[in-house]
Amino acid sequence: MNISFRLNGEKVEIDVRPDRRVVDLLREDFGLTGTKESCGAGDCGACTILVDGESRLSCLMLAAQLQEREIVTIEGLSDEETLHPIQSAFVERGAVQCGFCVPGMILASVDLLKRNPTPTRHDIREGLSGNLCRCTGYHKIVDAVEDAAACLKDDPCR
Amino acid sequence: MPLRDVFLPRTLDDLWDTLEQRPESMVYAGGTDLFVRLRSGSIAPPSLVCLERLNEIKGVRDEGEFLFIGAATTHGFLLAHPLTVEHFPILAKALAVLASPPVRHMGTIGGNIVNASPAGDTLPPLYVLDAEIEISSRREVRRMPLADFIFGPGEVLLGKGEILTGVRVKKLTNENVHHYEKVGLRKGQACAVASLAALLRLSPSGVVEEARLAWGSVGPTVVTLTEVEHALTGEVLSHDTLKGLIPLVRDNVSPIDDVRASAEYRRIVAGQLLLRLQQYRWGGP
Amino acid sequence: MRHPAGHKDSRTSKRSPDRYDRPLSIGTRVPRIDAYAKVTGREKFAADYYGDDLVWAGVKRAGVPHARIEGIDLKRCREAPGVICALTHEHVAGTNRQGVIRKDQPVLADDKVRHCGDAIALVLAEDKESLERALSMVSMDLEPMPGVFDPEEALEENAPLVHEDHPGGNALLKGELQKGIGQAAAAECEVLLEGCFETSYQEHAYLETECGWAQQDEEGKLAIVCSTQTPFRDRMEVAEALGLDPVSVRIIAPYPGGAFGGKDGVTVQTLLGLAALHSGGRPVKMWWGREESFVAGTKRHPASMRYRLGAKWDGALHFLEAKLFFDTGPYDHLGGVVLTLALEHASGPYRIPNVKLEGYAVYTNNPVGGAFRGFGVPQVTGAVEQMMDMLAHRLSIDPVELRMKNALRRGDRSGVGKTLVSSTGLMECLDVVSKHPFWTDRDEWKSAAGPFKRRGVGMSAVMQASGYGPVVPDYANAKVELTQEGKIRVYCGVVDMGQGNASTNLQIAGSILAQTLEEMELVLPDTDRTLPSGSASASRCSYTFGNALIGAAETLKRRILQRAADLLMAQSADQLALVPGRVRCLGTGRELSLERMARLMDETERVAVHHFRAPVALDKLAVADDLRLHGMPHTLFSYGAHVTRVEVDELTGYVEVKDYLAVSDCGTVINPQIYEQQIHGGVAQGLGYVLMEDFRVTEGAVGTPNFATYLIPTAPDIQDIESIAVEIHEHTGPFGLKGVGEIATNGPLPAVSNAVADACGVRFDRFPLTPERVLMGMRTAEHGKESREYQLQTER
Ligand SMILES: Cc1cc2nc3c(=O)[nH]c(=O)nc-3n(C[C@H](O)[C@H](O)[C@H](O)COP(=O)(O)OP(=O)(O)OC[C@H]3O[C@@H](n4cnc5c(N)ncnc54)[C@H](O)[C@@H]3O)c2cc1C
Ligand code: FES
Ligand code: FES
Repeated sequence: MNISFRLNGEKVEIDVRPDRRVVDLLREDFGLTGTKESCGAGDCGACTILVDGESRLSCLMLAAQLQEREIVTIEGLSDEETLHPIQSAFVERGAVQCGFCVPGMILASVDLLKRNPTPTRHDIREGLSGNLCRCTGYHKIVDAVEDAAACLKDDPCR
Repeated sequence: MPLRDVFLPRTLDDLWDTLEQRPESMVYAGGTDLFVRLRSGSIAPPSLVCLERLNEIKGVRDEGEFLFIGAATTHGFLLAHPLTVEHFPILAKALAVLASPPVRHMGTIGGNIVNASPAGDTLPPLYVLDAEIEISSRREVRRMPLADFIFGPGEVLLGKGEILTGVRVKKLTNENVHHYEKVGLRKGQACAVASLAALLRLSPSGVVEEARLAWGSVGPTVVTLTEVEHALTGEVLSHDTLKGLIPLVRDNVSPIDDVRASAEYRRIVAGQLLLRLQQYRWGGP
Repeated sequence: MRHPAGHKDSRTSKRSPDRYDRPLSIGTRVPRIDAYAKVTGREKFAADYYGDDLVWAGVKRAGVPHARIEGIDLKRCREAPGVICALTHEHVAGTNRQGVIRKDQPVLADDKVRHCGDAIALVLAEDKESLERALSMVSMDLEPMPGVFDPEEALEENAPLVHEDHPGGNALLKGELQKGIGQAAAAECEVLLEGCFETSYQEHAYLETECGWAQQDEEGKLAIVCSTQTPFRDRMEVAEALGLDPVSVRIIAPYPGGAFGGKDGVTVQTLLGLAALHSGGRPVKMWWGREESFVAGTKRHPASMRYRLGAKWDGALHFLEAKLFFDTGPYDHLGGVVLTLALEHASGPYRIPNVKLEGYAVYTNNPVGGAFRGFGVPQVTGAVEQMMDMLAHRLSIDPVELRMKNALRRGDRSGVGKTLVSSTGLMECLDVVSKHPFWTDRDEWKSAAGPFKRRGVGMSAVMQASGYGPVVPDYANAKVELTQEGKIRVYCGVVDMGQGNASTNLQIAGSILAQTLEEMELVLPDTDRTLPSGSASASRCSYTFGNALIGAAETLKRRILQRAADLLMAQSADQLALVPGRVRCLGTGRELSLERMARLMDETERVAVHHFRAPVALDKLAVADDLRLHGMPHTLFSYGAHVTRVEVDELTGYVEVKDYLAVSDCGTVINPQIYEQQIHGGVAQGLGYVLMEDFRVTEGAVGTPNFATYLIPTAPDIQDIESIAVEIHEHTGPFGLKGVGEIATNGPLPAVSNAVADACGVRFDRFPLTPERVLMGMRTAEHGKESREYQLQTER
């Protein structure tokens, strides 16, 4: 099956087997291993990607569903030189420990701040409720998203 | 058998063609139930038809007295829609605690209904709203009350070549209490161990003028108890009134034991959840 | 040999600039070195290794808890499309046994199956789909045997044996210990309380499940990239089990995506090694799915604990007795060591003159018990800290006061009689708690509970040993290099599984050498490049490796300065200073860049190595050799005191933790951010343990095989956690630090349970405190009260 879509800003075309999950397509065929798999069943959010700007779980999607969509993975969130404000906030506020949940957590935060640019700490926790982190206790993740929200508010075109 | 084909029809006509040509296919919308079952090995369809591109069955349509919700509308879309919030706060409350944002962006109301899990969060609200569902095939469109459509856990009256195309709900006028409480084992992304949806019309003095109640996860399908609704009607929404109804609830639900909770616990909680309603007498929680 | 695909050093690369251009220093909030690569998705975890011509390897597991293996038929499997080969124990050339203390776990089961997760056959295939299909075609002829699933039943005379050849039967390890006059002291107590507690399994639930990648090169060298805490020990285990020369095995350890003890020991390593020996030189990948991880991975030991605690009327503790049963499943793994640490901490951080301890680590056909953050201490702390609360209640003494009255101070003897010679800051922690509003204002807070809510406040005191104990050497070898490019490269011998020690290492070396992060580089553990430095476990990483690193960094500094002094014709090295990127002669102002220095120095001068061995307890305790070998006693401890405020819902039994404070004495804080991370993470895991993590096992079969049924806390479940560090300098620690990795996990179970008891007047003895358990407990208590009240009325 031949599909084409935009991946991190670039138009791509690929011939895939119909049963290929999006998470496998990204990791194995495109080498984008920033998208993680941790449960394969929708429970953890490690495989979160943005599809047309909205968070989705790439372990519960088949490659065919990418047709004509705009996909952003963690690798596409920033370029080599500068970080997205959410990424910098994660670094600065110590929201990263083992880091395995982090790509999904950051993309979920992008989705959250798009829907709600001025979230309370409670809103942030709710907004990230689909993303498990076993290391941080979430406190510093919430700090980071709070910071990023403030930063994005000052500079909303980011 | 491995999965061989995946189809993404753009129109209902395309869909009917595909379903005719590939009658062995299973349909899915968000895939948030289907792919979990696929992983566990409980199903192994040779081909899949994805409904996510069928604009005809997506979105919310204002039909005056009614609201029509396309089956392939995602929970996220519905939760953010002004019409849901305005007319069906009870549904919005349930959607807000259904799974998590990414699952809400994928999962659909149609999937929740056809999946027919007793724990499905949209179901108790849709039951108290007397939702009517629309089933279509190439040949006909059928309508029936939601409560008639679901007859067991995962069991619905859907024939070959048919899909669920939407849900029609009557806009509310007088109900001033929209209550949904889900009891889970944790706060985020929890499956309901028991839930209660309550739609009440409460007089200024706190008398229940009309009541609709539905419980999730305490029976093979959503449980509605007209005796309890009748008993509540005309009474003051007080602790004593509600407490008096608990035995009736306990005796009429039929929960099961599973890994999440015992039947006994669910039975007790199903009754006790009623007590929470008294808060609305003083303006809500 | 060929370098494994794409493996490169994790280096400092571009980051947001502001924080990184300052010279590193101790005590500052330096963002972690690994964070940049992790937030951009560029960090390569073991799970991220693929490579061309990849082979997928997977394991067929028994699925039954106890059985004799009559036969394994691989014919259909081998003929399945895409299969490269299928292997059994017959293909294992070495001992086919692995384990840390007692090597009792087969790589591939040979004579019998001892738990559902036992590996029976290893299959190699061209892709994941073929692999899955082929695994379903392995046919096993298993003759079921009666199993043992309860530790106490397993100790009975006629119980089926898990290991017929183990001299102790199903008792993997029995530990006994007496202090003072032991049980005879019971009679001298003015109050004597009893309690029984049962804690459940806890699954590590790291987000990166067990995984790795391996390849054998033309010269026969086997490289294994894996998610591990123990690269150097893995090398020996893999070599021995497979019959290889350890020198021909190389273990490369990227940052694991979480470990918490679950990767302390072999998971995929040997299987991967075996697969790579049969893949014709092609790279092989193995990655357990979540369900496989839950079934085959190790867990925190479920424990059943019986306690007696006695005191005088004034609250002075006089006697403690504990009897512990730890279910270690079918293999030692680290079960004996875990039990021993539990015994050492069984009497809590208190001065108790008379103690009697007895404990068993027991073989069963349940899942494998193993290392998990806290290492036996969360279980016993859960028990003893509830006993303390019951005692406080009974004596009507404020719980904090009761603990202060009995708290261990430096110079006291611990529960097992070890004299505490290192810093002992429990009193300071309790002091902070006693003055904190969560504690002082608790009555007011409780009385403000809303409708259907009951509020309670609870606390706990904790301690945690670090290091390996008196017998197994706890050492590290640090290596620091001035690279030819003039950068300072630190070779980490200890894995950073997320706890941040790699960054701490750079901070330590950087502060000694006065460099900024930009001048620093890091090499992650690799048995061919870094030096053996023990496991990432036991709260030892920064303590032991840090001490070694100070030595190495000081040596390198001396060499650079000495050489520069010669070149700049300064009187002595004292007249020079290192500044970022250069050396400066303070008198003349003349400078040499580090790059220049590197070119002027010989290779042997540019690399400094330092060995450090942690001090051990010198006390001669009346402890059996077996317990000494398993680690008793330790000499270095961290301490803490926790308080929590909870709200219980009367209608559902749901417990909500509203606030949490952890006060800790873990010595000097090198980086407050990393320190808080450890406290937050430990508390969150402890909260999961007490509130919801209910790993179910019935007749050896896992009933909660995924994240939909085994629940760990999500963001809304954990409120902000307040962490206060009581910084007491530990004179043996690098810059005064002690271990902070585990201690916080111990506090939540007892603190929350004490708070719930405070809220509902019911003491719970089984965990986790699920809504069901709490609601049923409250109802039983209510009914009890109602019937008592009824009785009283009728009596009147
Ligand atoms: C992590 C996680 C958490 C979850 N939490 C919750 C929760 O809290 N509450 C809750 O209620 N649910 C929860 N779910 C379940 C699921 O997300 C919902 O039931 C969702 O509404 C399913 O919709 P879907 O479109 O994804 O269904 P799909 O998986 O696409 O389909 C489900 C079933 O319905 C059929 N189907 C779907 N659409 C149609 C149609 N239009 N016509 C005919 N048949 C159709 C499919 O054939 C399939 O059998 C959770 C799932 C996951 C993975
Ligand atoms: S891997 Fe997709 S949600 Fe866990
Ligand atoms: S940082 Fe390890 S899982 Fe989140």
